[in-house]
Amino acid sequence: MASSGTKGYHPGLVDLATGEISREIFVNEDIYAEEQERVFARAWLHVGHESQIPKPGDYFVSSMGEESVILCRDRAGAVHVFLNSCRHRGMKVCRYDEGNTPVFTCPYHGWSYGTDGRLVGVPYFREAYHSRLDKEKWGLVEVAQLCNYKGSIWATWDAAAPPFAEYLGDFTRYLDLQLDGWDGREAQAEILGGVQKWLVPCNWKFPAENFSGDTYHNISHRSVDLAGIGPSGAGRRDMGERDVSRKLHVCIPDRGHQTIHYVLPSGELPPPAYANAPIVAEYFRHCEEEKRRRRGDWGRLVGAPGEIFPNTALLSRQPRTMAVWHPRGPHQTECWRWFFVDRDAPAEVKGFLRDYYIRYSGPAGMTEQDDMENWNYAHAASRGVIARRHPYNYDQGSGTAVTDYEFQGLRVPGEVIDITEVQSSEQPARNFYRRWAEFMAAGDWSDLATWRRNDKRAVAE
Amino acid sequence: MSAPVNIRDLAPGTRIALADGAEAEIVDNPADGVWVFARYLSAPRDPALVGQEDMIFAQDVVAIRPID
Repeated sequence: MASSGTKGYHPGLVDLATGEISREIFVNEDIYAEEQERVFARAWLHVGHESQIPKPGDYFVSSMGEESVILCRDRAGAVHVFLNSCRHRGMKVCRYDEGNTPVFTCPYHGWSYGTDGRLVGVPYFREAYHSRLDKEKWGLVEVAQLCNYKGSIWATWDAAAPPFAEYLGDFTRYLDLQLDGWDGREAQAEILGGVQKWLVPCNWKFPAENFSGDTYHNISHRSVDLAGIGPSGAGRRDMGERDVSRKLHVCIPDRGHQTIHYVLPSGELPPPAYANAPIVAEYFRHCEEEKRRRRGDWGRLVGAPGEIFPNTALLSRQPRTMAVWHPRGPHQTECWRWFFVDRDAPAEVKGFLRDYYIRYSGPAGMTEQDDMENWNYAHAASRGVIARRHPYNYDQGSGTAVTDYEFQGLRVPGEVIDITEVQSSEQPARNFYRRWAEFMAAGDWSDLATWRRNDKRAVAE
Repeated sequence: MSAPVNIRDLAPGTRIALADGAEAEIVDNPADGVWVFARYLSAPRDPALVGQEDMIFAQDVVAIRPID
């Protein structure tokens, strides 16, 4: 196992055979620098939601890895993601969080760009440049690929990355739980309020691992359960489905995505929720019936925390949120959390959910505060030269995943561990770090798109 | 030397004098303090510009003209 003498990534730091992972991958500055190139410059990353930029000229400043990007809608209505850096001397061309503008103007020397990224204004273009500067060549740097998936905007800097749907693979239905209407209609989600943003002094992989499906840390939230912040006045969530469903860890091994979720018995709807709010309870009861009618057996899925590799967290049930863990150096993460509601939901439902979401999530949310304490102190206690000699243990449930899981007629793809009785496994974390190690070692996407090789082999056989 | 013009405050319809002797009428102002969009009313050095819209750099705006 690596010691504090490690200079950068090398095989062995993630040893899934022994279930050991070196602390170096969290605290080592050389490995962090390599991650920016090997992970964040190659993977698909979540940038924002189209409901944040409904009108031409609207923009929302986001991040891809460490780098600032502008999500905007041009005058023709097309959505773009640009590097927020002037092509002349690199100054940010947009220093607001969001707004509406006809142009992005660099305050340094005045180069100016349209919302389609084209360079449209160059001071002294005729005089100093003698009208010879090729403006078409010096527009804002645009991402190599962009995907609007049911309103959520994803982008990658790598032109060789597979299309986003292929990147998701069999994980698509879990993102659908987040973005579709609760009644099963497609792409009915909208963002509620603004994006909450805050800093945590830990490596970005701590929250990414946690949201991959760590059910083992529930003891951390015991005080919240006792306080009873849930939507029915008890616990953290309405969790009636826990008593009747199978609770699963589902991992998509060749993609690095993983989640917890519940599968209800065939023919059974979720138990009643929102006990003290009749309008909200009736809304969700009606939606559940509609969802089952529209989605059939797949309507039996009930979402829970999950992670799309590398740094986007899902939580489609309670509270319905997405988060991105932006790396801000090896020892700091900027957390961004979006809150979702059905756009057609009654105002009473949106208002009720807003109050609940704020109690639960974000820098002032009671549950998220528990998590931040853990990541903060775990990271700090792993930085010392002695601490770095000793790997973390990820052995829980090794060797128990199956690839043919089925419950009452519903076949669940991926590697699955049924944790209904065993309570917990670390398969999601192992899946996440296996993929992380593949990204760190791979030369390019021809190495990373392992499923394409498997598909070819299957055809050949 | 006259005081610099604060172009952020200029509304569409405002007529401006430019450093090269041209005059233009503002059609849009992004209020970034660096550019305004304007239509040329006169352009002694390049008459072909008259009637065209262009982005005018703040340092090229030397005066505000009264509307006739």
